[in-house]
Amino acid sequence: MTKSLAFLVLAAVLVAAAPLAAHHGRGATFDMKKRVTLKGVVSQVKWQNPHVLIFIDVKDDTGKVVTWGFENSNVHTLATQGYNRNTLKLGQEVTAVVNPAANGEPIGIIVKVILADGKEIMSRERGNPVD
Amino acid sequence: MPIQSARIQSVVSLGAIAAVVAIASPVTAQGQFDPRDLSGIWSITSGHRSISANVPPMTPEGEARMNANKPTRGRFLGEPLNGDHPGFVRAVRIPAQGNDPAHKCNPNGFPRLLLDPEPVEFVQTEGRLLQLFQWERTLRELWMDGRPVPSGENLDNLGPAWYGHTAGGWDGNTLVMTTVGLDDRAWIDIFGFPKSTEARFEERYTRTGPDTIELRMTMTDPKYYKQPWVGDVKKFTRVKRDETTFFGWYGLFAGVTEGICAPMNEVDSYNTLFRDPAGKGAK
Repeated sequence: MTKSLAFLVLAAVLVAAAPLAAHHGRGATFDMKKRVTLKGVVSQVKWQNPHVLIFIDVKDDTGKVVTWGFENSNVHTLATQGYNRNTLKLGQEVTAVVNPAANGEPIGIIVKVILADGKEIMSRERGNPVD
Repeated sequence: MPIQSARIQSVVSLGAIAAVVAIASPVTAQGQFDPRDLSGIWSITSGHRSISANVPPMTPEGEARMNANKPTRGRFLGEPLNGDHPGFVRAVRIPAQGNDPAHKCNPNGFPRLLLDPEPVEFVQTEGRLLQLFQWERTLRELWMDGRPVPSGENLDNLGPAWYGHTAGGWDGNTLVMTTVGLDDRAWIDIFGFPKSTEARFEERYTRTGPDTIELRMTMTDPKYYKQPWVGDVKKFTRVKRDETTFFGWYGLFAGVTEGICAPMNEVDSYNTLFRDPAGKGAK
C-alpha cells in the first residue's frame, strides 16, 4: 500500500513535471523515495539550462565540509515562479531537502530549499519540476 | 509604408478577416476563431511521446539500427512489456551507458523536437509557417508558397538536414505539410526509434478551437518500417501569457525563452557533475 502510494505520488510529480522540463532520463541512479536534509552555506549557483545546479557546503558531524550539489528545473520555469540568479547568494545559510544519488555520492535532486526564516522556496511540488 | 495607407490596409484586412471568420469559423462555446490562423505559443499537451504507441513491423535493417540506439527514457530494459512495443521498454539504468545524441546537445531533429512538450511559437507569414522552439532555441520553416518538397537529384544534392525540408499547403481548413531529407542520426523520439534518410513525414494541423490545435502525423520509411507509422491525435494547447511572463516582461523580449542546450552546460557541467557520478558503481 505504502509502495503503491509512493508510486502514485511520484507518478503525479512526473506528470506535473512533463510539460516544461522533460529532457533527461536519469535511469535508476537517484533514490526518489529517500530524502536527505542538508544544512549548509551556498557555495555555487549555476543558473543555466537545461537545469539549474546549486551547490552548498555542508559540515558533517566531524566538522568535515562536504560540497553537495542538487539539480533543479530550468531557468525559464524557475523565472516564471519569480526566482532569479540572485535568489540564493553565496555564503547564505540554507537547508536543502533532496532526493540523493542511490550510490551515496553527495548529489541529489531538489525537493525544496528552506531559508533561515523558515520560508520554503524552489519546491519541486510547486513550480520547480525536475525531470 | 506610409502610416495612413497602412491604417487603411489594416482596416480593410480586419474587415476581410471578420468576413472570413463570420463565414468560415466554427463557433464554439469558447468563442470564434480563424481556422486558418495557427499563430500563437503552444505546448503539446496530449498524445504519445512518439508518433504513436502502434509501431509498425520493422525491417531487419530498421531493427538493427534501433538496437544500436541506447535510450535513457522509457521503461527499463528487462521490465515486463505489458502489451507495449519492446522499443518502449529498453531504457538503460545508468544514463552514461546510453547514447542519446541529445544528451551531448546534438539537435533533437524532426520530429523529436516537435514531440517535446516545451513551448513552441507558430508564426504565420507570407508563404511560410515558422515554428520557433524554446528547447534548442531553433526554428523549422514550413513552406506554403506553392513549392514542392525537393525530390530526386535535387534532394540528393541538398543532402540530409536535422530538420529536413518541409512544404505543403491548406487542404480545406487543415494545413498539410510534407517533410523529406531528414538526417538519420537524429532519433524519431526519446525512445530511440530510428528513421532513415528516406523517411517521409506528413503532418496535418487542424485548429479545433481558440486555444487548441490537433496534429495527425504519419511517417513512411520503407527502409526501416514495413508499413507507414500512423500517429495518434496530438493536441497543442495555447500557453497562457502569464506562463511566458518573467519579472514583468512578456517572454523576456521574445515569445519563447532561451532553452539552449550548450555543451558547456550539458556535457561539461551536468553530465560531469551529476549524471555520471550518480551512475558510478551501479550495475
